[in-house]
Amino acid sequence: MENTLLSDAVQALKPTGLNYEFLLDASERGAFIRGLGVTLELCLLTIPCSLLAGIALAAMLTSGNRPLAGVTRAFVEITRSTPTLVQLYCAFLVLNMLITQQLREWGVSSNPLTPFIWVVVVVSLHKGVFHAEALRAGIEAVPSTTLEAARSLGLSRMQLLSRVQLPLALRFALPSLVNNVVDLVKMTAVASAIAVGDVTYESIMIWSQRDNVLELLLLILLWFGLLTWLVSVAGRRLEHRLRMPGYGQ
Amino acid sequence: MLCGSAAHADATLDRIKERGKVTIGVLINGGPFGSIDPATQQLVGWNPELAQALAKGLGVQADLVQVQTATRVQFLQAGKVDLLIASMELNPDRAESLGYAPTPFYRVGGAAAVRKDSGITRWEDLRGKPVCVSQGSSYAKPLANEYGAQVHGYKSASDSLLALKGGNCVAAVHDSTLIHPLLNQNPEWSQYGTPIKGQILPADSVVWTRKGESDTIAAVDKVVRSWHRSGWLIDTERRLNITPPNPLLPELQTRLKTAS
Repeated sequence: MENTLLSDAVQALKPTGLNYEFLLDASERGAFIRGLGVTLELCLLTIPCSLLAGIALAAMLTSGNRPLAGVTRAFVEITRSTPTLVQLYCAFLVLNMLITQQLREWGVSSNPLTPFIWVVVVVSLHKGVFHAEALRAGIEAVPSTTLEAARSLGLSRMQLLSRVQLPLALRFALPSLVNNVVDLVKMTAVASAIAVGDVTYESIMIWSQRDNVLELLLLILLWFGLLTWLVSVAGRRLEHRLRMPGYGQ
Repeated sequence: MLCGSAAHADATLDRIKERGKVTIGVLINGGPFGSIDPATQQLVGWNPELAQALAKGLGVQADLVQVQTATRVQFLQAGKVDLLIASMELNPDRAESLGYAPTPFYRVGGAAAVRKDSGITRWEDLRGKPVCVSQGSSYAKPLANEYGAQVHGYKSASDSLLALKGGNCVAAVHDSTLIHPLLNQNPEWSQYGTPIKGQILPADSVVWTRKGESDTIAAVDKVVRSWHRSGWLIDTERRLNITPPNPLLPELQTRLKTAS
């Protein structure tokens, strides 16, 4: 039943010049659907990881501890001024290879770090840096009089950050953060470069056999369009819910 | 005999003769099949030598253009090059959309680089194991379907080879013309070898033209046949230190000699 529906749909699209025949091949259809899942999985892991990294980096940048802030600043500058793909190659093809060789010398034959883990780490850190800068803008936008008032209540440095600065900073930074997360969703496509089976990778593997580039690109576009739309909707709702009365109105 | 019956030559052959110059796309991927001489910046190796000799055989000057695997067909179809000598093997799909000189000048299949201590000696040993290839590789399908390997496609051959070194797969399968020189000549690869005998999906390397240019094809094919008869290809292979020697070359030499 389901299969006839699908093959009818494929036949119906044929006269328009779009050949989706790969969907009728069980193994290729399976690979493509798995690819959709892996992209979703990457998003669900990298979004929280990058936000946590962003908060930690922003805290270090604004900590007032000069050496710590300096080291963090250097990390931020290097990370945001090199392409994600290059970082992924450096991490996976070079660093990972060195780790494997070292493990081999120690008699450990398998390296537990998979390509998937490297993608999550590299993309989270890369985007975490951008989150950190957005949050820093928010933290620095908190009026000094507010901080003075908080300090006069006897709040410690950590309490000040977690109870006053971050909640306010988050509101100021929210549009930038949502923007970053939308970009992060698209960025997960770099996984295809190191053979992690995301939707882009599975599509490349299919179109290099079938030459149906346009058909698959349209599906990729739809999938990323859907994911980024969900992020935007969630972001707008959050902005609405967190709106502070008296600010910007 | 084909070209004798045609009233006039096709446009490309006309243009080549008229300009006294033929534009040939060559693939340069390092190693003996095509590389750049660091001293002179000249293209050297098998592909460039064949291109130069082909132009000479056609009685014109050679204009070599470097092409990439992913875009070489577009270069030919868009008319940026007249001919391709670009490590591009004959297969039915390509034969449908492009023209080619029927006499092959080489035969290439997939060879597997594996760690010497891996215990892998046959293609069948790859079953269920991760194998690295480059994205778009024609070896991906037979590896998965016939030998049950888990195929991982990396952006390029060099990425796939690095992933092999990183232990992400047990074998990297690429053109034997890439694997053999790399493992034989590069000390960094001393722990790796090619214990699996035989090649996967061997196919003929031919000179490619645009579709339907029968006069150009006939002229090119005549030159390629003369290379086989004179033994020039065998000499060139030896001079460039390409090992192991390709059994296709002596075979075709004998066949073409007796045919003439």
